[in-house]
Amino acid sequence: MGVRSDFWEIYRESLPVLLVALSGGLFAGLVLEGLGESVAEYPGLLVMVPVFLATRGNVYGALGGRIASGLHQGLIDPRFRRDERLFNAVLASFVNGIGISILIGVITWTALAILPGWTPASLVVLVAIMFVAGTLTAVVMIVGLLALIFAGFRLGYDPDNLVGPIVTTLGDIFGMLFLLFSVWLVGVIL
Amino acid sequence: MFPLLVVLSVLVLWAGLRLEEAEEMLTEFALLAVMVPTMVDMGGNLGAMLSSRLSTRFHLGTTSLDPRDRVLWANVTAILALAATIFTALAVGTFLLGQVIGAAIGLGELLVIALVSGMSVAIIAVGFSFATTYVSYRLGIDPDDTTIPIVTNVVDVFGMVIFLSTAAVVLDV
Repeated sequence: MGVRSDFWEIYRESLPVLLVALSGGLFAGLVLEGLGESVAEYPGLLVMVPVFLATRGNVYGALGGRIASGLHQGLIDPRFRRDERLFNAVLASFVNGIGISILIGVITWTALAILPGWTPASLVVLVAIMFVAGTLTAVVMIVGLLALIFAGFRLGYDPDNLVGPIVTTLGDIFGMLFLLFSVWLVGVIL
Repeated sequence: MFPLLVVLSVLVLWAGLRLEEAEEMLTEFALLAVMVPTMVDMGGNLGAMLSSRLSTRFHLGTTSLDPRDRVLWANVTAILALAATIFTALAVGTFLLGQVIGAAIGLGELLVIALVSGMSVAIIAVGFSFATTYVSYRLGIDPDDTTIPIVTNVVDVFGMVIFLSTAAVVLDV
């Protein structure tokens, strides 16, 4: 095979996936733009956005990878039912997803409190925003990721090729939506 | 898993600090915010794709990072071509959304911002993918486990920082 045909094969295989990720990214961008006014109200909120989005990929990408390997090896059935292996993988990513969200709030607040020239919003506010957004995202990401991987697997798609784009797209869209919701909720309650 | 997550979060925090610093620019040019999530993710996506292809070839023993290896070149040029396509689409998509929400930056400026920062990030992603896959292979670590999240996050940080600097230069803020 020549370089040219290899090139086109990789390009054609990957482009649809990246275009889906791009639409998710643009939608998330619109939500971020809508977050505009709260940004001035809660200093530190913008700092948390890239970290929050990046950890979605880390936590649920790992879950997706585990589920994909399990399906390939026949250790996990492609349906929702009580299964210890599935339950453990889900529980681990749920705990990781919420734990890291809370930690992002703490780390951001600490960094801004230490660094000269920054005054963060209160620790409680930042942590509460991250906790609510992180928990809601965890539920939707886990259910959505499993449902899409299972459906794709039953239709004959390689789950390894599905995990990356599903995680990025769902993570961007729901991560930002729930962040917006959580900022509103915290504004109302605190 | 959790310790790695913490380290990566601290790393990406830097991107967030730069984003908050750029708050004024984002308020003045609200449309830039629309590009932010894609700029954060896309470099990492490209890096992850290349890394997993490279690590598969390492596992199979079909590559030794020889510059005469033609499939390597096909991979690298494909990644760069994908980057060019996606970042052009990002500029056009952002421009169209700008028409809808009524926050306009010229298409030309958006194209320059998206392509200059996007292609720089793509080149960094390629370099990082090669370096980390090679190092982890030499150290006997499975690249699938640890290096891909590291590549993704490091490249994400570069994406954010390069994007904000390019936008500041192009829009003359």
